[in-house]
Amino acid sequence: MTFLRAITGSLTLVYALVLVGCSSLTNPTYSVPVKTSAGKGVSAPMPEAHRSGSPSASAAWKPLLEKAQYATRRGDYEQALAYLERAQRIDPDSAEVYLGMAQVHRARGDSARASATAERGLLYCTSNRLCDALRAFVQ
Amino acid sequence: MFRTSHLLLKLSLFFAVIGGLFVIYLDARITATFSDKMWDLPARVYARPLELFEGAPVKADDFAYELRVLGYRAVNSPRNPGEFTRYRDRFDLYTRGFDFPGERESSRRVLIEFADRRVKSLSAGGRGVDLMRLDPVHIGGIYPQHGEDRALVRLREVPETLTLGLMAVEDRDFYQHWGFSITGIARAAWSNLRSGRVVAGGSTISQQLVKNYYLTSERTIVRKLIEVVMAVLLELHYDKEQILESYINEVYLGQEGRRSVHGFELASQHYFDAPLATLGLAQQALLIGMIKGPSLYNPERNPERALERRNVVLGVMAEQGVISVEQAAVAKAMPLGLNRQHSIRGSFPAFLDLVRRQLRREYRDEDLATQGLSIFTSFDPVLQRQLERSTIAVMDQLDSSGELQSAAVVTRFDTGEVAALLGGRRAKFAGFNRALDARRPAGSLLKPAVYLAALEKPAQYSLATELSDTPLTVKTPGSTPWQPQNFDRRSHGSVSLYEALAKSYNLASARLGMTLGLADVTDMLERLGVEKGVPAVPALLLGAGEYAPIDMAVMYQSIAAGGFRMPLRSIRDIVDANGEPLRRYPLEYDRTASLQAVHLLHYALRAVMREGTGQGAYRYLGEGFDVAGKTGTTNEGRDSWFAGFSGDLLAVVWIGRDDNGSTRLTGSSGALKVWAHFMSRSSRQPLAYRMPDGVEPHWVDERNGFLTGKGCPRARLLPFIEGSEPDSRTDCAGAQEKNGIRDWFDTLFGKKD
Repeated sequence: MTFLRAITGSLTLVYALVLVGCSSLTNPTYSVPVKTSAGKGVSAPMPEAHRSGSPSASAAWKPLLEKAQYATRRGDYEQALAYLERAQRIDPDSAEVYLGMAQVHRARGDSARASATAERGLLYCTSNRLCDALRAFVQ
Repeated sequence: MFRTSHLLLKLSLFFAVIGGLFVIYLDARITATFSDKMWDLPARVYARPLELFEGAPVKADDFAYELRVLGYRAVNSPRNPGEFTRYRDRFDLYTRGFDFPGERESSRRVLIEFADRRVKSLSAGGRGVDLMRLDPVHIGGIYPQHGEDRALVRLREVPETLTLGLMAVEDRDFYQHWGFSITGIARAAWSNLRSGRVVAGGSTISQQLVKNYYLTSERTIVRKLIEVVMAVLLELHYDKEQILESYINEVYLGQEGRRSVHGFELASQHYFDAPLATLGLAQQALLIGMIKGPSLYNPERNPERALERRNVVLGVMAEQGVISVEQAAVAKAMPLGLNRQHSIRGSFPAFLDLVRRQLRREYRDEDLATQGLSIFTSFDPVLQRQLERSTIAVMDQLDSSGELQSAAVVTRFDTGEVAALLGGRRAKFAGFNRALDARRPAGSLLKPAVYLAALEKPAQYSLATELSDTPLTVKTPGSTPWQPQNFDRRSHGSVSLYEALAKSYNLASARLGMTLGLADVTDMLERLGVEKGVPAVPALLLGAGEYAPIDMAVMYQSIAAGGFRMPLRSIRDIVDANGEPLRRYPLEYDRTASLQAVHLLHYALRAVMREGTGQGAYRYLGEGFDVAGKTGTTNEGRDSWFAGFSGDLLAVVWIGRDDNGSTRLTGSSGALKVWAHFMSRSSRQPLAYRMPDGVEPHWVDERNGFLTGKGCPRARLLPFIEGSEPDSRTDCAGAQEKNGIRDWFDTLFGKKD
């Protein structure tokens, strides 16, 4: 019973966090509750429920975004997209990477692809700034 | 007398003209072909490079496997590229570095620590490293018919001791002679006589090159004469360095199945898994010694003979002053130094087949086998290993006779890349590639297309819409009426739309599809990427047609990605022999289905796993790990299918018989088990819940689909496209007591209190 109560407790916390999130976001993103307290009760093997990527993944791909921006300014769109795709493989759930891709597609005049990419990125945005920036690309 | 000499004169003139013409012909042959492009350079196919950064989802054991297939050597302290030391979850590694398209990853020594199935820290020289990648695993090549494989090396990259040693053993007067050497022949004869066995051959390097490249290996006087003439001609046209370089790249140094190993660079990679430039003296001497008899002195098959031959070579090198006597003594004491790791090249025939097919759309076979292209793919050796293991583990349990076949496709649906592929139960066996070529009905695996077509009409359908699961007969002109049945041969009356899909009710699905119209369903399949093998007959609604596992992967990929169709990719980049990028295969999105409707479909596919035909997956997966998917079974259990996805991976598994007989399996009792076994060990991320704009959750009464209050009897939270929620409402306003149904979706929402 204490075990169940622990789960319920953690879920309440998550709910509270989600509510807080909802109130400030136009596009709420619900994350799966991480059952930190349930570890012992579940039979192995059980992949842990990690939130997308990891806290430090952005340190890995941020420099790639900068390189992509530089390549875009040079007009080397292929190279820019190559950097961004590598960034996406590192953190597939980053709305910022999608935004970067949409920017390159627009820069090279492919607004249809820019729109489709931004629309997919909208599934991952977590701040108003990012969501709005992505929406601006959606036709 | 006069007549005879006249005849002789005529004859000799005739032969002189013929001979002259022949020499001109030989000369033309040499000058026409002797160039940089004289060899076929097979395309080399690489796996994805492993990306390393803090938090990267890699297990220490998988990392060790990656190093093993890369041929990194475990040593006490890594001093050279390609060496590593492991202390439990910590690795001290000297990377090899690699020229990636557009960017070089330099060789360096790094410390990597793993914890909790992730990279915990990554540093080089005491400083943190943000991001790096290992060299990619070479998984195979595309060889010409004759099977010659080689890797080119420039003379300046060849260790000097190797070229000097080569000359000491094969051709001491190389820099003095004009293509053939009388003294060389005499010396060879003398030393052979002295030692009582053949330790040296009389042919110069130029002669050997001519022989290897232009002539057959038969031993006749005429051939020998032609060889000498051509060697002289070669020397007339080209300088010694060019000839030596060509020889180093041409010489035959062994065989691996159909593939023949040519040139020192490839031989170095083949026997030592290291570039030629990094070989030690003993290793160089071993290769030099093998020229005399690549099979006789093969160090893998005849290690003792090879060692003896190597030491003879080291002796000659010391005698000729290439190295000192001490150096020779040290090298002689060394073991053979072979990299005994079993090569994984050629172990993934199904994936290479997929790569080849993609390449053939744009390149001629001839170019692929000769132009020295580097093909960078999305292949993931770690996922492939697990896919093979899971298949073997489950299949051995299901069918000890070994008669059932299996195929599978694994993709990373965020990028649309194929990461692993299984063409049959025996993964290493290159034969019928069932993942690409099996043509089977898909059973209920096609149903999501029917439901998605419905959910795209929010004015008429929602997840709560009540469907009728009752018998139906569809008359088709010219054939017997179609009368589908449920798996349990019962009808279930009124069922909600999501439940009909979760429990895979055939009657409800067929009725839904007939109401929508076949055109709507084929249109949806096309939008999801399934265009071939779709028959426009009512039985399509329950999966009639001919589909390969890869076709189903395309369809589920579109669903997993949220209604974005992406061509499945196996190739990322192609680079030419000079390292210049030739072609990049970019990520492409095409929005083909409503994001909101796909979101609702995800709910129903999660319901399959939580309360429908896919529940068995949770015998393998952790309770909190969210996934979505669908089972498929065809008539008499001929095919057992499962397709599904988590937050990072998508996999489609098929089990059946090549003779199309019954497997006695359903999707749940067969393919699902392989899928779940694989996912539980490979997937690192559960399916996240992301509600798009335009969708909102409502509480509905499970019995009648009416809106109800939270906490009311049978209350269930369902997502709806805005405005599509039911009009009718129960009279329960909502209660705060916990007497509603505690379901998985509710949990997902964090709505427990």
